[in-house]
Amino acid sequence: MSEPSRQYFEDIQVGDEYLSPGRTVTEADIVAFAGLSGDYNVLHTDAEFMKSSIFGERIAHGLLGLSISSGLGARAVPRPFATLAFLGLRWRFKAPIKIGDTIKVRMKVTGKKETSKPDRGIVTIQRHVLNQRGELVQEGDTELMIERRK
Amino acid sequence: MPRYFEDLEVGDGFETPGRTITEADVVGFAAISGDQEALDFTVGDSGLAPVVPDLLVMAITSGLGFRAPSEMPHVLAFMVFDLRPRVPVRVGDTIHCRIRVAGKRPMKDGGVVVERRQMVNQRGDVVQESEYKLLVARRPRE
Repeated sequence: MSEPSRQYFEDIQVGDEYLSPGRTVTEADIVAFAGLSGDYNVLHTDAEFMKSSIFGERIAHGLLGLSISSGLGARAVPRPFATLAFLGLRWRFKAPIKIGDTIKVRMKVTGKKETSKPDRGIVTIQRHVLNQRGELVQEGDTELMIERRK
Repeated sequence: MPRYFEDLEVGDGFETPGRTITEADVVGFAAISGDQEALDFTVGDSGLAPVVPDLLVMAITSGLGFRAPSEMPHVLAFMVFDLRPRVPVRVGDTIHCRIRVAGKRPMKDGGVVVERRQMVNQRGDVVQESEYKLLVARRPRE
């Protein structure tokens, strides 16, 4: 049974766009992510060392930015996609995210593809992660397998 | 002593120790990412444990890379990656990572190193594959 609260393959159109709310990335997020991932690289954890780096301060883990953008993405889409599987991701890190930066995600449907199975299709979503100055900090494309209406 | 661009050779490879992914990791990841989708821990009719978000598996892999037997390369920037999930990872699975240098290209301030990573579960199944492009520092001149 299809659920009215979800968006199926037929409901999603190339060109659909979503903008998420913002989220401020704090020192606590970076410390928590270091603990969770086990990535204690000095880039993210040594404030003294980073004073003399090209960044001048600690920066967020690239994957922390990606993780936060996935949560923001979920909040950007009013009716969630009827996703069956996450097929893949290509992601580029363009600029650092620093403590206190506020990021948003702009999502755009850039592709729809039929598959050999009639009950599903593949949707490509482009994501741009922007900071408070509108600078692109991360970007990438996600491929999702989405259910069709029954 | 960190390893520099000059120290890395195509074909170099190693395996990390393993790490068991727990429900606590999934809860911690939901809190940080804000993505609440993976928080339903109900075991369905299949009897299989709940699926772990792919990005959490990737985050844990990034930390496992630091527990490799050799020193990490001196990474200046993480540039691009491609992620291909292959098999779902479930709560209670123990994953480790195989890392191999697949290519390198010199640049002005360092060089680009291409790494292929395979995340493997306790049964030896490859659960995720990824390719990273990293900017690695050159050895400083004496």
